[in-house]
Amino acid sequence: MAKSPFRASLRRDWRERDVRVVLTALIIAVATVATITLFADQLQRTLTLSASSFLAADRQLISENGQPVPAEWLAEAELRGLATAKMVRFPTMMFGDGNFQLVSVKAVSAGYPLRGQIEIQTTPDSAREMRARGPEPGTVWVGPRLLQLLKVSVGDPVEVGELELRVSGLLIREPDGGFSLSGLAPRVMMHADDVAATGVVQQGSRVAHVALFAGDEGVLTRFGRWLQPKLLPSQDWVSIHDGETLSASLEKAERFLLLGGSIAVLLAAVAVAVASRQYALSQRDSVALLKTLGLTGKAAGRLYVWRLLSWGVAGALAGILVALPLYAALAGLLASVLESEFALQVEPRALLPALVTALIAMFAFAWPPIRRLQTVPAMRVLRSEPGESRLAVIPDIAIAVGAMVVLLWLYARDVTLVVALLAGLALLLATLAVLGWLMVLALKGVIGGGSSWRLALVALYRHRRASLSQISVFALTVMLACTLLLIRTSLLSDWQAQLPEDAPNHFLINISPQAVAEVKDFWGERGHGINAVYPMVRGRLTELNGQPVRQVVSKDERVEALNRELNLTWTDRMPADNQLLAGRWFEPGETRGVSVEAELAQRLGISLGDQLGFTIGSETITEPVTSIRSVQWDNMRPNFYMIFPPQGALDTMPATWMTSFYLPETAKQELNGFSRAFPTVSVLEVDHIIARIQSIVAQVTQAIEAILWLILAAALVVMAAVVSATLQDRQREGALLRTLGARQTLLVRSTMAEFALLGFFAGLLGVAGSEAAVWGLQYRVFEAPFRMHWGVILPIPLVSALILALFGRWQLKPVLRVSPMLLLRRLE
Amino acid sequence: MTVDKQTDGEHSHIMLRLHNVSHRVDLGHDTLTILQGVNGEINRGESVAIVGPSGSGKTTLLGMMAGLDTPTEGTIELDGAVISAMSEDQRAQLRAQRVGFVFQSFQLLPSLSALENVMLPLELAGHKAPLQRATELLNRVGLGERLRHTPRQLSGGEQQRVAIARAFASEPTVLFADEPTGNLDKHTGAAISDLLMDLNREQGATLVMVTHDEQLAARCQRRLNIDAGVLSEPGVPA
Repeated sequence: MAKSPFRASLRRDWRERDVRVVLTALIIAVATVATITLFADQLQRTLTLSASSFLAADRQLISENGQPVPAEWLAEAELRGLATAKMVRFPTMMFGDGNFQLVSVKAVSAGYPLRGQIEIQTTPDSAREMRARGPEPGTVWVGPRLLQLLKVSVGDPVEVGELELRVSGLLIREPDGGFSLSGLAPRVMMHADDVAATGVVQQGSRVAHVALFAGDEGVLTRFGRWLQPKLLPSQDWVSIHDGETLSASLEKAERFLLLGGSIAVLLAAVAVAVASRQYALSQRDSVALLKTLGLTGKAAGRLYVWRLLSWGVAGALAGILVALPLYAALAGLLASVLESEFALQVEPRALLPALVTALIAMFAFAWPPIRRLQTVPAMRVLRSEPGESRLAVIPDIAIAVGAMVVLLWLYARDVTLVVALLAGLALLLATLAVLGWLMVLALKGVIGGGSSWRLALVALYRHRRASLSQISVFALTVMLACTLLLIRTSLLSDWQAQLPEDAPNHFLINISPQAVAEVKDFWGERGHGINAVYPMVRGRLTELNGQPVRQVVSKDERVEALNRELNLTWTDRMPADNQLLAGRWFEPGETRGVSVEAELAQRLGISLGDQLGFTIGSETITEPVTSIRSVQWDNMRPNFYMIFPPQGALDTMPATWMTSFYLPETAKQELNGFSRAFPTVSVLEVDHIIARIQSIVAQVTQAIEAILWLILAAALVVMAAVVSATLQDRQREGALLRTLGARQTLLVRSTMAEFALLGFFAGLLGVAGSEAAVWGLQYRVFEAPFRMHWGVILPIPLVSALILALFGRWQLKPVLRVSPMLLLRRLE
Repeated sequence: MTVDKQTDGEHSHIMLRLHNVSHRVDLGHDTLTILQGVNGEINRGESVAIVGPSGSGKTTLLGMMAGLDTPTEGTIELDGAVISAMSEDQRAQLRAQRVGFVFQSFQLLPSLSALENVMLPLELAGHKAPLQRATELLNRVGLGERLRHTPRQLSGGEQQRVAIARAFASEPTVLFADEPTGNLDKHTGAAISDLLMDLNREQGATLVMVTHDEQLAARCQRRLNIDAGVLSEPGVPA
């Protein structure tokens, strides 16, 4: 084909309103998808970095068998470009000034920490400082409590095994602090090179060797795959995704972003499909004319393929140009929230989904209606041929649905997500079919009578095909935007409920039975009330129905709870956020039985009535399972696998008590007084962990808000595209109605009423569709219980009615501005 | 303002009066004069043809007389009401009550059936039985069998019949026709002319028509010529 006619046709195309709509839709599609993928990528990097400091690395390899991580594994990691560091954790006695204390040592190599920083004080009164590396060889940092326990000061010597070390700082916070109730001994941090000289770590010692890794996510994943088959059961490959609260939040945020992206893709596809169908219809006359001039059907096909391809390229490039500043703005916002600097990083890989979207949108959504131009008869020039048959669009719809599945899959790679969205769509379409039929029946008898509402109803009926297709598109748009809105709302409230402002941030452990009342009073007098205090008896689960539990449990199930002592407790009242799943709670006065946590019960195959044997010290007790309950592990309160009744089997066992409570930052100094008054009670400060989680949730929330706005903007554009697809017809109708004597106010009111009705029905259907989609997503993807969102059932249709009424008004503007005569001439 | 049928105009024999009507369009660098000091009267029940070459201002004058647009100068009275001084809404109301239109390009709404197209002005005027009245009129113009057909399914002549039925639906006192046979062949054009003249007679309306069709012009009681925006009547000094 000669180039110049093609170029000329492109120039002419640009003057066509429908082409501009197709291109605008495409640019928005590409821009939205590109912005979301770029931003999601950035968010991912930022969050991973922020979350990685929980591990002081991106990955940890924990070896609990007393053997160091093989040097060749570390060498392999370094060969692959990963940064590595090592640490050794072991309990030992520390001596100082004639006193001794059991401590928990962490010996770190020079690279530690690979992510995050260590917070220390050089003296008890000095300001807190952030350090990027651990103590120098020959020195040690100790927990502040240890100074009191050993009666030493900073600068004094202490002994670990055979080695004397100098205290050079107070360890306030480690990036990989974490917390576990078993790690109660005061923390000490020293240099890994000093470990050998202590002589403490020997064959068979209780010691954990940890290798730390950081670097490119892809390399880490590949290294992990290389490592997996070599790992022994006692070695664990840990990523940030294995944590509890944080990983769940991160995963949900990732899924939300994916959902947002998928929805952007769907909205874009709808806009492109609507606009290109309109374009194809408008081209029928031109093609017929060209055919009379000798153009063959095939040549017409080729002409339009080239056009589509060039629009696709132009739209994709323009979309990416629009996306870049948007991404920069969002990333800047994120950086300001994080109070961190950010590097704009445009990964070409992140632009790929946008380009694929452009191509699929062009060829799956725009091509089918345009393809049929090949078959437009030349006779059309002479005689007005009937319009397209309704059956003709069935293959189009099939192709479009297929393409949607492919796009969603490419984008989300999550079967549930795709299925939930498609099920929502299917439900929506089925409802629409029924509603359309009902609408035709209901409106058939309505005949205009001068009032704007009656005229609006008549118009809805008269244009029933257009009305139905507009309702479909609007309902789809509302459904998608609303799904995102509902998921976001429930995600945020979930997170907030999980960690409220006053979530307990301090644990008190090792409270002697006699001291319980005094401890309660101590904090009560200072205005920090303590609610539940639990007794704690340490014991192992050893038998299940008379059989050793390790034999009963299959080897594939590595249950951590079996490897260590469990904290057993008794209470007459079930903890507030536990939920009874099976059996019944203890009756008052009941002394037999045990209540088991649901996940553990499931993994060990424990059911109601089973006999559980526990070894506590030298004694063994056996109790029947009377209930199974769920536990919120991430609520920062004391949680227990096993709960016994008061005056039950644990009653005679030696117990200490524990509790958790909220202490505001401003009251932190009260802890010093507490430690002096109750030297034997251990205080576990988890406030920094909670603060970190809360700040990450805040970042994710901001990101989610930003993406929601983007999607809502895209939804508005789809609506505008659909409304403007019928612009010419409606303007002609408006002009004619004015000629026939319709007053402007009547025209405005009836048009707005018609659009408001369309918007209301679409909103109602959209909300119903989104409830269905959210139901599926909540259950399967976000693992949260589903609730009907009664609060939005009316407001959303009303807002959608208002928005569409305004669109209708906007569309009418040119009709009202010029004289009807001029308008009719213009539209002829 | 409502246009009260009981104005003096009701009893006057003048249906349309034009006084010094001029219309200019500002083109930015230049001003285009379309109508130049047009004067004239058309009596109630009269049929008048306005003829003239293309671009002479015929259609503009017709639009002004029908109140679709207002002149830059001069006054136009329609049925006793000074429409050149009325607001757009007042003119719209007057059109709904007293004016019918037939266009060269039919101006039917493509998505509506023939019946619905004819019902449109009746519904706007709040007619009590629009369906019945529209059906009657379509029967009258010979399209009783094609009520449910859309314009696409009708020939040009049939579409113009629908347009004529629509024009007479609200029983206008004056009918404006812009080249009503301009898009039709000679034979169909003649049939449409017959229909238009017959219906006009039956309804006793005033008919003002712009046409190139000499035969159609000859069937009108008066003939006005327009050239370069200036109106004249053969045999009457300008």
